[in-house]
Amino acid sequence: MSLQPIVLRASAVKKAYRIARRALPILHGCDLELARGERLALMGPSGAGKSTFLHVLGLLDRPDSGHVEINGADAWSMGVDGRARLRNASLGFVFQFYHLVAELTAVENVLLPSLIGLNTFEFDRRRKELDGRATELLVRFGLKERLKHRPTQLSGGERQRVALARALFHDPPILIADEPTGNLDRETGEKVLELLFEEQARRQLSLLLVTHDERLAERCERVARMDAGRIQNGLRA
Amino acid sequence: MNETETLTEVTKSSALLDLALALGGFALFSLLVVAVAYVVMRVLFLAIPAPAVVRFLSWRYLIHRPTNLIGVVGIFLGVGALIMILSIMTGFLEQTRTSMRGSLSDMILLLPGTEAPRRPYDAQKILEVVRADPRVEAASAHLSWPCFLTREGGNSLLMLSDPQRSRHAFVQLAGIDVEDEKTSTEFHASLVRPPTYGESVADPTAPFAPPPEYDSSMGIPRASVILGDQLFAAHRLRRGDFVTLIIPVRDPQSEYGFAAKEREFVVAGSFRSSENEMDLERIYVERGQLARFMAGANEEDELPRGAMNVSQVLIKLRNYETDRDATQLELYDALKDKRLIDSSCQLATWEEFRGPLLGAIENERVLLGIMLSLVLLVACFTVFAILSMMVSEKRRDIGILTALGATPRLSLMVFLAIGFWDALIGAFLGACTGVVLALKIDGIERWLSAALDVQIFNRNVYIFDTIPSVVEPLAVGAIVLGAFLCTLLFAAIPAWRAARLDPVEALRNE
Repeated sequence: MSLQPIVLRASAVKKAYRIARRALPILHGCDLELARGERLALMGPSGAGKSTFLHVLGLLDRPDSGHVEINGADAWSMGVDGRARLRNASLGFVFQFYHLVAELTAVENVLLPSLIGLNTFEFDRRRKELDGRATELLVRFGLKERLKHRPTQLSGGERQRVALARALFHDPPILIADEPTGNLDRETGEKVLELLFEEQARRQLSLLLVTHDERLAERCERVARMDAGRIQNGLRA
Repeated sequence: MNETETLTEVTKSSALLDLALALGGFALFSLLVVAVAYVVMRVLFLAIPAPAVVRFLSWRYLIHRPTNLIGVVGIFLGVGALIMILSIMTGFLEQTRTSMRGSLSDMILLLPGTEAPRRPYDAQKILEVVRADPRVEAASAHLSWPCFLTREGGNSLLMLSDPQRSRHAFVQLAGIDVEDEKTSTEFHASLVRPPTYGESVADPTAPFAPPPEYDSSMGIPRASVILGDQLFAAHRLRRGDFVTLIIPVRDPQSEYGFAAKEREFVVAGSFRSSENEMDLERIYVERGQLARFMAGANEEDELPRGAMNVSQVLIKLRNYETDRDATQLELYDALKDKRLIDSSCQLATWEEFRGPLLGAIENERVLLGIMLSLVLLVACFTVFAILSMMVSEKRRDIGILTALGATPRLSLMVFLAIGFWDALIGAFLGACTGVVLALKIDGIERWLSAALDVQIFNRNVYIFDTIPSVVEPLAVGAIVLGAFLCTLLFAAIPAWRAARLDPVEALRNE
């Protein structure tokens, strides 16, 4: 594993929020490395800054200082369009609350990264192929009977499987999962995790998993711990 | 149930069926418009290199959120009403202009009443000078005089005591020369137009010839008159009937300076102009006969020397638009130089003559346009409100899209596109409906009046017998474009707000 290249690197990331003219520091210079195919668990108590760090790594929240490199490119020095392209092509997100678009069916939700990444002409041209891939993915995730269902017609576990299919659809090298089972019962959560780990191994994805669950963290190759805006074991040995 | 009640029931159910069919047709038409909008969308987005999600998601938001329909309906109503009302007002203006021009010709030389012992105007010489101008196509002399109309065994006194009907008694006598009138005004057209209530003259080429119904064995040769269609009907006349006309004439011996003269005339028939007011208030008579009547001479006598025989000269130009101003100036000077008219005379274009009425209608048109534009503005505010609400509701979706690779510009485009569909469907549907309603307004009004048993458009109040309407393609285009741009402008504000949303905040919004 140690020979694998680094796909995601954060160096000295600092972030503070301004509340009533006072700066409230959240991240105090966090470092993190994630190698290709690596499973990294990020643990820490509530309020430790995990979500903020995840948003910075996911190119959604700009850090006050520090760098985030994705496949060697300094993401926060890019323009808005460049960062958006990077997010679309290189990052897959799985959220605790699924975050599916209510007006779209399961297949259409899975197609969202392509809908965003391709222009109308290109999308229409490749529609059949894309539909086929999305359907195949959902069938593999056990949702054969749910392809045309909308999120409100799906159970929590089914929604999270659709969200996972959406995150994987574009074949991104990095998958960021923020407590993916936090909103599911144990049994359903276990099934989703099995699917997540299986796909991660099969695709050689770099997985950054944020969790409170020690047993889940144990299933990762490395565990980084965060406390009061500082991170331990973020860098590879 | 008697026969009348049965008939009423049948009429009502037929009207309901018509209404149901019309609503069904409208629903089908709306579906067609949505389908057309969808095709437009597909074609348009193939031409624009926008991310596919803009088309996909905006359309999906539109059809899954019934509140969006409120915006569409608002724009539809605003555009439809604006087009329909402006078309009707334009129609009113055009129809008024046409009618007035038809009865007045292009220019009118007003010759005020002469006071004795001044010599009267010489109609023949004035006409010679006028016709000598190469820009003049035709000219005719008129002798107009007020009169009171009654008939043997009629109810004139009853009419006088009734303010609604007294207008049928006080009318205007227009003395004309048939051949001249045919070439310079719409007189001939009004004779051959099928009457609504009256009876046409027996021979339009000789309209003042005694009608076949006139019994000449009575031995008194009488002059003929032709009455306006509605005046004819108001007095319940038939062709060949007698009417008595009473006119005021100057009488220096009288205490008040005038006396009344009366004479019986034969009704030769009726005319129907395109102006309701004319049909209610005008009686045509031969100019020579009116001059004899006013001078107290018999029908077959020579016109006494010095008798008044002209009060107006109507002039038709070959090219009114280009020659109007120059002709008006030069002709007036020429007539004055030849001492045929004096400074009390006036040569006015028909527009100057009817300026106040035309101006009033034009003002109404502008005011209605402004008021209905406000309706459209309210519709745009509705779109703004709905989209603002939607942006608040869809904060999380905006966060999701951003996480999946959308730029702020893309979020803006998704919500702007919803405004675009609102505008496209609403404006297109409104334009089609407005144009159809404008073109069919007269039939629709008649049908609605019959179905509701209420007279919506009182043709006796207005000066036309149909609701006029002129659809101006340029105006329709301007309204549709205006509605479109206005909607997009109002949609741009919430769309811009969507673009400025912090995706992290949006994703936290659980």
